[in-house]
Amino acid sequence: MKKRILRLAAACLLLLTALSLCACEAQTKTRTEGAAADAVLGRGGKVLRILSGSENAALEPILEAYAKEAGLRIEMTYRGSLDIMRALSQEDLPYDAVWPASSLWLNVGDTNHRVKHAESISITPVVFGIRKSLAGNLGFVGREVSVRDVLSAIESGELRFCMTSATQSNSGASAYIGFLYALLGDPDAITLEDLESETLQAQVRSLFSGVDRSSGSSDWLKEMFLSGDFDAMVNYECLIIETNQALVARGDEPLYVVYPYDGLSIADSPLGYVDNGDDEKEAWFLALQNYLLSEDAQSAIQRTGRRSSYTGVDARNRDVFPETWGLQPDRVLSPIRMPASDVLFACLDLYQTELRKPSLSVYCLDYSGSMYGEGSEQLVAAMDQILLQENAAQHFLQASETEVNILIPFESEVLDVCTAVGNGEELEALDAVVHSLETGGGTDMYAAAAEGLRRLRDYDLAQYTPAIILLTDGQSAGSFSEFEQAYAELGADVPVFSIMFGDADEEQLRELAEYTNARVFDGREDLIGAFRSVKGYN
Amino acid sequence: MKTKWIGLAILAAVVIAAALYAFAAEKTQVTEANGYLGGEKIGLLEDEEVQDVFRSRYHLHIDYARAGSLEMITADQTGMNYLFPSNQTALELYEQVKGAPYRSEIIFNTPIVLYTRARVAEALTAQGIAQRKGEITTVDMEKLVSCIEEGRSWADIGLPELYGDVYVGTTDPTKSNSGNMFAGLLANTLCGGVADKSSVEAVLPRLQAIFQKLGYMESSSSDLFDQFLKTGVGAKPLIAGYESQLLEFAVQEPETWAQIRDDIVLLYPTPTVWSSHVCIALDETGAAVIDALLDGDVQRLAWEKHGFRTGLYDAPGDIAAFGVPGVAQEITLVAPMPDAATMDRIIQSLS
Repeated sequence: MKKRILRLAAACLLLLTALSLCACEAQTKTRTEGAAADAVLGRGGKVLRILSGSENAALEPILEAYAKEAGLRIEMTYRGSLDIMRALSQEDLPYDAVWPASSLWLNVGDTNHRVKHAESISITPVVFGIRKSLAGNLGFVGREVSVRDVLSAIESGELRFCMTSATQSNSGASAYIGFLYALLGDPDAITLEDLESETLQAQVRSLFSGVDRSSGSSDWLKEMFLSGDFDAMVNYECLIIETNQALVARGDEPLYVVYPYDGLSIADSPLGYVDNGDDEKEAWFLALQNYLLSEDAQSAIQRTGRRSSYTGVDARNRDVFPETWGLQPDRVLSPIRMPASDVLFACLDLYQTELRKPSLSVYCLDYSGSMYGEGSEQLVAAMDQILLQENAAQHFLQASETEVNILIPFESEVLDVCTAVGNGEELEALDAVVHSLETGGGTDMYAAAAEGLRRLRDYDLAQYTPAIILLTDGQSAGSFSEFEQAYAELGADVPVFSIMFGDADEEQLRELAEYTNARVFDGREDLIGAFRSVKGYN
Repeated sequence: MKTKWIGLAILAAVVIAAALYAFAAEKTQVTEANGYLGGEKIGLLEDEEVQDVFRSRYHLHIDYARAGSLEMITADQTGMNYLFPSNQTALELYEQVKGAPYRSEIIFNTPIVLYTRARVAEALTAQGIAQRKGEITTVDMEKLVSCIEEGRSWADIGLPELYGDVYVGTTDPTKSNSGNMFAGLLANTLCGGVADKSSVEAVLPRLQAIFQKLGYMESSSSDLFDQFLKTGVGAKPLIAGYESQLLEFAVQEPETWAQIRDDIVLLYPTPTVWSSHVCIALDETGAAVIDALLDGDVQRLAWEKHGFRTGLYDAPGDIAAFGVPGVAQEITLVAPMPDAATMDRIIQSLS
């Protein structure tokens, strides 16, 4: 009898515990609704939302396996590391963890002291990957190469390359700083005075004229590289390895990795907890982090081309780092020192407003009847973020003095074409146009995009980073073939990015993106964020 | 039968009520304390044994937000009960900015040391910059500073695999304590004795030149130490930190320590300076935090598991227990830090 009572009491307690647990889960679920994640791993009730650099997409299988076992649901949102830095400095940070490419951005961004338990998960250097035969012709195989050597090859026109935006992504920023050191003759530190040098600015501009395509994030740079026809890219060693695995699998020539000894930087991939005072989440986070640092997980992470802290690459994972691709898993990674924060930000501002290849952006904006009300309000707010320079500066999206922005509002036909050169009055006038237009009529995005392509014929595209940015909220009439014809007539590699909104047909947009080696951004959750992302790509 | 069920239901209700009561009672008894903490002490506050002492004897749960020792003095202190920086300069600064604190005490001490890798230690020894006496390796600060000021490269001292010039990585001296104290140590070295307000002026340009070379500096001692261990000899060949950091690491991460112990070398600058970790109470709860930190068992755990010396000079216990080669039983060659006014001048010149 006594036993039964005890058992019953125990059962009651269990029930009570279970009930309180359920309550917790329900609470957690409602709190996570809202922000859309790029990848959802696992289906557990315990949600961890991670704001991460896109290079970590390769770790999804490892994260997913853990999420399933631990009853977690890991929601990954991918952003450039500099965007993560900016998110950290915002009042509202709707994530449980951050995972930028380098601890530099975490330290600079965490002015509110919210990040705890940050631990480096893996290490990978930023390197050049150059088509192997070309690397051989340039004399880069089997010897130490300096940034200067690479720059000479770019200046002589023998080498063209792709990189991520220095103001959006860690790999781009790291490479850019490496270039500055080399061009300044390897000083101990870059100073603000150094940056004012006309000679330096001219040299960097000429260097960036060799940039074929730019990208807002490292992982997408890899994707773009694989679906285009390019010679070289600046990216993480681990992403060059992934690229090579794909290239070799389809029978193409792999890239040869060049470690510039006077311009190397390291991404240490810190995963940190965002302390919002939820002890349970903290425990889930720590368990996940422990797992990622465990021997098994580290071995799996090495197999994605990353190095482990302390020990580098195990003997059993050496095959992932083949010497024939120029990889040196035992190399002592001796990076350049990053400039002090004030100098670093001055460097980034200079890149954005003066040095990068000027962008030539054509905005095709949907003013059809279905955009009436909230849709057009959001569109106007988003364009305000890009066209009004005060807003743009907060996200390192300022226009440069030489860039060109073309506005093509459309419905079932093109309504107008407005062009602005530079970052002054003309650009503000463009914003006034955005505000003045009324919505109405049907939708034909093909006609608008084709008009954009025809306008590009007036420019020497080698001098610009051209892109068409299309926002639409509905099923489009018109025909893909009209677009196809205009594209063929232009005869240039121009990406058509699109921002999906309202009831837009993802298929139609994807078709354009695939045809032009671009990508589709989802503006349904956060239109302003989508515009910012797409702008980061050029 | 039916009555029996009713009886059991009542019993269950009583059990639940009792459980809820106990739960609620425990909740009301434990006071939450919050404050700013230098990153190198996180391991101690996260230690479950230490937390048990706080909870059972002092009914405290001590939470923290990480901040640099100097940064925390001027940071927003809303909702904070204590500040736990890593030097007395921070306390002096607090007194200047906010007046006398509710209460303050030195909790423990640890010397500023340099950390490096075996190959770098060998090169420094071959150059006569470092000296090995028995197990202990010391660094002649004057020689190290000359080497840095002359702009000699790592290759010049026999390490061609390292890029750039010889330097000591530190945290940002305007934000974090270990960098701040290393700046004080450098100022002493450049002045040829403890720097004071009159002697420091002449050496400020040289001090600025040394720090300007460093470029970006971490704002936390624990981040710098973590990166030193993890990113390898190329990224951080030589850094300044606290002696406690390596002792704590060896105890907390024995497996990793076993893998890397042959490569990690602890160097004592001669002379060095003491980092005195002082706790500043902002209110009554903060004062309770001080009492809890001074508890005999917490003090013992602070040494045994986290490497903080609780007295000056002599180690409070056997150093062999850490399994870290080259730890000094006594720290005898210690110079005082420059006074607060001088440090203030140094920090200003480096901002």
